[in-house]
Amino acid sequence: MTTPTWDEPGGPMTGEEFRAATQAIMSNIEQVIEGKGATVRLALAVLLAEGHLLIEDVPGVGKTKLAKALARSIDCSVRRIQFTPDLLPSDVTGVSVYNQETRDFEFKPGAVFANLVVGDEINRASPKTQSALLECMEERQVTVDGTTYELQAPFMVIATQNPIEMEGTYPLPEAQRDRFTARIAMGYPDPRAELAMLSGHGAHDPLNDLRAVTDAATVRRLIATVRDVHAADAVQQYAIALVTATREAPELRLGASPRSTLQMIRTAKAVAALEGRDYVLPDDLQALAVPVLAHRIIPTADAQLNRRTTDAIVSEIVHRLPLPHDRGRSPYDTRNGGSATNQYESRGR
Amino acid sequence: MSGRRRLGLVAAGATILAAAPISSIFDSYTWLMECLLTVGLIAGVAVGARTLRFPAWAQALGMIVMLLLTLTWLFPSGEEFLIPTPSTFGHFAELFTQAGQDTRSYGVPVPDRPGLLFVTVLGIGAVAIAVDLLTVVARKPALAGLPMLAIYSVPVAVYVDSVPVLPFIIGAFGFLWLLVSDNIDRVRRFGRRFTGDGRDVDVWEPSPLAAAGRRLGVVGVVAAVLLPLLVPTISGGLLSQLTQSGSGVGVGPGTGSGGRINLFASLSGQLSQTEVAELVRLKTDENTPYYLRFGVADQLSINGFGSTAPTGETVTQGLPDPRTATAAGSFSEHRAEVEISDKLTQGMLPLYQNTVGLDGLQNGWSFDDNQQVVFSSRRSTRDLNYSFDYVRARYTPALLRQAEPLDRDDPIVRRNTAHPDDATVSALVRRIVAGKQNDYDKIRALYEYFSTKNGFTYRLSTQPIANSSEISAFLQTKVGYCQQYAAALAWMAREAGIPARVAFGFTRGEKEGDTYVITNRNAHAWTEIYLKGFGWIPFDATPASSVAGAARSDYAPDVDQQAPTATASESAAAPGADPSAAAGGVERPDRPDFNDQAAAGSTGSSTSALSGTALLIIALAALLIALLLVPALRRVLVRRHRHAVTAPKEPKVRSLEGPGDIVVTAEVVKARADAHAAWDELMDTMVDFRIPIDPSETPRVTAQRLINDAVLLDEPAAAANLLGTAEERARYARKPLEGQELTVALGRVRRGLARSANRRTRLAAVLMPPSVLMRWRLGLADASARLVGAGGRLRETLAKASPRRLLPHRTR
Repeated sequence: MTTPTWDEPGGPMTGEEFRAATQAIMSNIEQVIEGKGATVRLALAVLLAEGHLLIEDVPGVGKTKLAKALARSIDCSVRRIQFTPDLLPSDVTGVSVYNQETRDFEFKPGAVFANLVVGDEINRASPKTQSALLECMEERQVTVDGTTYELQAPFMVIATQNPIEMEGTYPLPEAQRDRFTARIAMGYPDPRAELAMLSGHGAHDPLNDLRAVTDAATVRRLIATVRDVHAADAVQQYAIALVTATREAPELRLGASPRSTLQMIRTAKAVAALEGRDYVLPDDLQALAVPVLAHRIIPTADAQLNRRTTDAIVSEIVHRLPLPHDRGRSPYDTRNGGSATNQYESRGR
Repeated sequence: MSGRRRLGLVAAGATILAAAPISSIFDSYTWLMECLLTVGLIAGVAVGARTLRFPAWAQALGMIVMLLLTLTWLFPSGEEFLIPTPSTFGHFAELFTQAGQDTRSYGVPVPDRPGLLFVTVLGIGAVAIAVDLLTVVARKPALAGLPMLAIYSVPVAVYVDSVPVLPFIIGAFGFLWLLVSDNIDRVRRFGRRFTGDGRDVDVWEPSPLAAAGRRLGVVGVVAAVLLPLLVPTISGGLLSQLTQSGSGVGVGPGTGSGGRINLFASLSGQLSQTEVAELVRLKTDENTPYYLRFGVADQLSINGFGSTAPTGETVTQGLPDPRTATAAGSFSEHRAEVEISDKLTQGMLPLYQNTVGLDGLQNGWSFDDNQQVVFSSRRSTRDLNYSFDYVRARYTPALLRQAEPLDRDDPIVRRNTAHPDDATVSALVRRIVAGKQNDYDKIRALYEYFSTKNGFTYRLSTQPIANSSEISAFLQTKVGYCQQYAAALAWMAREAGIPARVAFGFTRGEKEGDTYVITNRNAHAWTEIYLKGFGWIPFDATPASSVAGAARSDYAPDVDQQAPTATASESAAAPGADPSAAAGGVERPDRPDFNDQAAAGSTGSSTSALSGTALLIIALAALLIALLLVPALRRVLVRRHRHAVTAPKEPKVRSLEGPGDIVVTAEVVKARADAHAAWDELMDTMVDFRIPIDPSETPRVTAQRLINDAVLLDEPAAAANLLGTAEERARYARKPLEGQELTVALGRVRRGLARSANRRTRLAAVLMPPSVLMRWRLGLADASARLVGAGGRLRETLAKASPRRLLPHRTR
C-alpha cells in the first residue's frame, strides 16, 4: 500500500455515503461509551477536521475508553503512549540506533508513527517530553538527527489528561495546547447510562468486541468531503469576530491564535457535514466556541481570583457578540450604538 | 479675583446701565461722563476697602466720603482745594436751589445745567453706594433693584407721555447681570462633590452638572419671559390698563403706542367684568342729567376708531363757556359733586359736557379744548373728590334744523369727517340720507336707522371692534352693543359729511336718594355730532332698553318707542331725557317681539357657530387620528414593500470565491432577497408582538425561541421554522431555498402570534407597531448622537482658539 500524501486525501463522497460511513463509526463507539452522543460526535468531527483531540476530565469517566474506541473503529495503525514522568522525547518520536549488521544508524520509529496516537495522561509527562509532540502535531512530520520523516494520513493525536489541579500533573505548555483542535470533557454519565454500563461491562469489556467499521482510505475521503463544505463570508467573519473578541476581552491575558480560527472553521465544517449540511452555520461556531477556544486562552489574575473559568468567559463572548451577516448590521442591534439607517442596504450579494 | 471684589465691580457696572434712562432727560452726555467717574471712583474705594479687609461700616463710610470728594471736584465752589469746606456745602445748597428752578423752567431734554448735573451725580452716586452695599455686603442683589428703579422713576415722572423702552431694557440688563453674577457662584457649586466635613472637592474643576445648572438657568429665564407672552389676557381689564398708562407708574410699554389708550378695549373690559364695582357717586341739582363723559375717540382709520393723546392748558386757567360760542338753545346752570372710589384709576376726569368750572382738584389736570376732556398724565382719579359747574344745553329739532351748513375747510370738519372707503357703508348712507335737506335731518335719519325694526339687536357678548371692517360687518350682522352702535353711527355720519366722534363715559347709573351710583356696568359709548353753531351734540344710538341708566334727548328720541309727541314737543322745558328709558325694567308692547328676535338671532347664529366649531373639532380629531395612524400605515407600507415581488436582476458576478460551485442566477438572487425580506418582516413582527430580538442569535435559534416563547403550534411553528431555514440558507448556504411560500408562512406566524398574544399587545401591534416606533426612535437617537458629536468637535475647535488656555492653571 502506498502512503498517500496528506494533501491528496481522495475523492469526496456523496451525502448518503458520508452519512452511512460516519453513522457507522459513531454507533460503533457508542457501544462502548453510552449516553455521550454529543461528545462522540465532536470527537469524530475533530478527526474529520484533521485536528487533534484533548479529552480532559477527572479519572474514571471513560477518557481512555473513548480514545481507544475511536481508534479501534477505524482500521488503521494505532499506537498508544502512556505518558509517565520518566518518559523521554525519544520514546515519542523515535530514535536512531546503531545497527551492528549494517554498521549504520538505523531509525527506530517512535509511537507517533501511526494514524491514531492515543496519548494517555499526557500531562503526567514532563514538559520536555510533551514538547516532542509539537512538531508532529502541527507539521505531521518528525525530525530526528536531522532527518525528517513524514507521518501517515490521517494522523490524529487523542490525548487524555486530568485537570491540572490533580496531583502529579504538569500543565501543558501554551504552544502544546494550541495544537489541540478541541478539548472536550466527558462528564459523568447519567444514571441510566451508568446502569447500562454496569450490566454491560459486568461480564466482559465491550471494547474487546469492537470491530473496525471503516479504514484509513475511507477516512481520507470523509476528510475530503468535509473540506468541501461551504463556509459563507458571514460565517468566516463571525469566526474571526469570535476569536478577535477573545483577544480584546479584558478578562483574558492571552487570546486565541489565528490557528484556532482556522481549526474552528475546519471543525465547524466537519460538524456541519456530520449533520448532513454542505454549509456551515453560525450555530456550529457557537456550539464549537467553548471546545475549540476555551483551552487556548489564559484569564487574567483578576478573573482567576474571581473563579471565572475560561469556559464561562468564552460562552459569555458568544452570547454578547452580535451575529454579522452580509447585509450590514441588524436594525435591532442597539448594543453598540446600533444604527437603523442601513437596514435596506446591500441586500443579497 | 475673588468673588466679592468682582461682584463689587459688577454692581458698579449695573448701576451705570441702570442710569441709562437718564439719557432721555439730558441733551448731551456730560452727565454720563461725570457719573462714570463718580461710580468708578466709588467702586475703586469699595474694592480697595475690601482688599484691606475693612469692616462693612468702614466700606460704606469710605464710599460716602469718596462721593463727597468727587462732588467737590466736579462742582467746586472755587474756595476749597480738593477737600470740601463749609463754603462747599453752601455751594451745594445753591446748586440744589438752582436745580429746583431749572426743573420748573426747562422742558425735557434739558441742557447741561450745573444744578441738574449735581443732582444727577449725587443721586447716581448714592444709588451706586446702595447697590454696592446691598449686593456685596448684604448679599441681597435682588433688593438692589429698588434703588435702580428709583433712577428709572425720574424720567417716568418728567415725561408726560410714555418713556422710551430701550433705556429701560438696558437698565433691566444691568439688574439681570447683577443677579446672574451673584448666583453664578451658587450654580458653580451645583453637582460638586464635597467631603464629609462640608469642604468642596476640586473647586475649580468644571463640573458637568454645573453646566447643566447654567443651562437650566437659561431655560428658566427664557421660559419666564416667554410664558407671560403666551397668556393673552394677563391685563385685560380697564383698571389695569388705565393704571399703566394713565398714572405713569407702570414701566411697561403700556397700552397702545405712545401712551394712547384703547378706550374700546377698556369699555368692553368694564362691561364684561363679572363683578360689579362701584366707581362713582355723583350728586347734581339737575333732574335728568345726561351722561358723564371722560374721553373721545376721534380718529377713524382702517384700524377703526382711535384716540389721540389729549393736549392742552391746565384747568386752573379756566374752562370755556359754551354759551359764548353757541348760537341758540336753552341753557341751565347746574352744579355736581363727584366722589370717585378706589376702583376707578385713570388719567381722565368724568365730567358732564360743557363743564365751566372745577373745584377741589390738585394741580396737574389739564383741559383739552378740542376733545373737551380733562386729563392728567401724572395724577389719577382714584379716591378723588371734586365738584364742578356745568351748563346743560337743550335743543329742539326745529332749532337744530337751522344749523348753518358746514365749512368744508374747517379743521374740525376735516379732521372729524375722515373715514376709510367702504362701498357698502357709502351705499347704505347714500340710501338713508337721500332727500334730507339739512345736517340734522341727515343725522336723525342715520340715528333712526339703528332701530329694532331694522333688525338691530343688542348683545353684550359681541367681540369688541378692532378695525373698520368689523364696524361695517356690524351693519350687516346688526348684532352688537354700545361701542358698535356708537362707532357705526359716527362712521355713517362722517360718510354723510358730518363731523362725528365716539364719546366714552358712564350712563346715569342708579339713583339712591339724591345720589347717582355709577358702577362699571354703566360704562358706555355714544356718538357726538358736530353742528355748526351748536358744537358737539350727543346722539346715543344704542337701544335705550338694553342700557341701564340710558337717557334720550328730545332731538334724538328713542327710536324703538316712536312717540309722536317726542318731536311735537317743542317746549324747551320738556325733559331732555326719557325717564321711562332709564332701565330695562319696563315692559313695552314690542318687548316680547324684540326678545323673540333676539332669541331667534342668538340661536340661529349659535347653531351656525356650533356647527363651525363641531366641524373644526371633527377636523382636528381626524387630523389627530391620521397622525396616530401614521405608524400603522408605515408598517403596512413596509410589509407591502417586502411582500412585493422583487424584480429579478441580472447578476453581475457569475462566480464568486471558493471552488466556483456557487451558482449565481437570477432565481437564486431573487430567492435570497425574498428570504431576507421575509426574515426582516418576521423580525418586525416579533418586535410588534413584544418578543425580544437578540442580535447574537442565529436564525435557527431565533425561530426556535419564537416557537417556544409564543407557544406556536403546528402550522405557525412549521412556518416559523421554514422562515428560519430560508433565511439561514439565504445567508450561509450555496443555494437558497427556492419555491417556498414565504409570504404565506409569514401570515401563519403572524396569526399564530396574534392568537397567543393578549389583546393589548395585539392592538398595539396593529395601531402603534413597536417596530416602526423603535426604528424612528433609533433614527432620532442616531441623529441626536451625530449632532452631539458635531457639537463636541465644534467646541474642541473653538477651545483651541480660546485665550483661556494661555492662562496658568487656576489652583486654589
